[in-house]
Amino acid sequence: MKITHWAGLLLAVTFLAGCYTEPVEIPEETVGLAPVYSDGDWKIIESQPPQPIIELNKIYYKDSLIFVGEAQKGIHVIDNRNPAEPERIAFISIQGNSDISIKGNLLYANNLTDLVVLNISDINNVELVSRVEGAFPQSGATLPQGYFGFFECPDPALGTIVGWTEKTLQSPECWR
Amino acid sequence: MTKISTFLLALLVFFVLSCAEDSADISAAASSGTGVGGSLARFTILGDYLYTVDNTTLATFDISAPEAPEKIDETVVTQGVETIFPLKDHLLLGTQNGMYIYRVSDNGLPAYVSEYQHVVSCDPVVANQDYAYVTLRVSECREAAAGAANTLDVIDISNIESPNLVNSLSLDGPYGLGLDGNVLFVCEGSNGLRVFNLDDPESPQEIRYLNDINAIDVIPLRGTLLVVGPDALIQLDYTDINNIQVISEMSIGA
Repeated sequence: MKITHWAGLLLAVTFLAGCYTEPVEIPEETVGLAPVYSDGDWKIIESQPPQPIIELNKIYYKDSLIFVGEAQKGIHVIDNRNPAEPERIAFISIQGNSDISIKGNLLYANNLTDLVVLNISDINNVELVSRVEGAFPQSGATLPQGYFGFFECPDPALGTIVGWTEKTLQSPECWR
Repeated sequence: MTKISTFLLALLVFFVLSCAEDSADISAAASSGTGVGGSLARFTILGDYLYTVDNTTLATFDISAPEAPEKIDETVVTQGVETIFPLKDHLLLGTQNGMYIYRVSDNGLPAYVSEYQHVVSCDPVVANQDYAYVTLRVSECREAAAGAANTLDVIDISNIESPNLVNSLSLDGPYGLGLDGNVLFVCEGSNGLRVFNLDDPESPQEIRYLNDINAIDVIPLRGTLLVVGPDALIQLDYTDINNIQVISEMSIGA
């Protein structure tokens, strides 16, 4: 029996029995997923000065404001009263965020495993109104949800996993 | 159902069904109501309820006390739930193996109505009263099954209990899409943005294929189209559909 086979079995036992299967072979280099770790306390939500958009996620529009998701980090707020010259006016830092919806002055967002409600009347000083803890249990999983392939093994010492990103992996030791 | 939620539902219906109106209307109405998401959204608000999807599950939050949401339901739909689209009192879920339709009752709880199954691929959905438009993508879709294709599927949902595929157009590698009256926008990633005329809703006619735009998702705002891609946030004026103009372009990247 090959060593890789035993490694697979060991991993399966170590992490979550049944979720790991034996791969055909571990590639020297492949594109897979890698964990994105929290930057400090993932529950801290705050308005920050406008920032450059690095990795655009989704958009949401309300009342001449465009809300642009920055993957897993938060939301850029763009003043679009003049569509010819849209202007970034703030960044709302929300770790592990992928989606929002707004009703009135309240913004609903996922903050990793929690649903948070923010009052955005003053976009430069958004206020956390409430938090439903554990609303999205799947987001806190230490495995990339709905993904089958190689990934960088999570290291709990590096912090809470707030998401997963594509990465070129060298001889990855985790897969599912 | 409260008067307010009835009003909000009426507003939603109005937004979905009507097309070219003064854009001032939309912001005036929206200030007290909800905003507009793209077709790749996983959150949506219908009246007093917030619906969210994650990989397998549709969750319902009661937001009748808007500052204190309460999770009232969790429904397992299927593997690979990707998007959620509100249509009157229905929710259309784009999943990797098909479009699932749920009806929302007065107490907010979703109940399964029907589904349209397709080969496993990546697939958001938009819809009007009678038709749902679903894009299926295999390129850069990790989960896509062998034999899946890049298509725009037209599904007759006039009988919501029994969705019926009426047309399937071959595309390059579609992502999000947006619907405004009889105009349908389909993002083709780095290939561009397609614009279709839906005068015959079962047979979308391509008006333009803008190849110099990298488009992942769109939000049509009655004449102004927000287009997002990995490179830029672009706004297009489509008040004259035969003469689409770039209004602005905000580039992305450090």
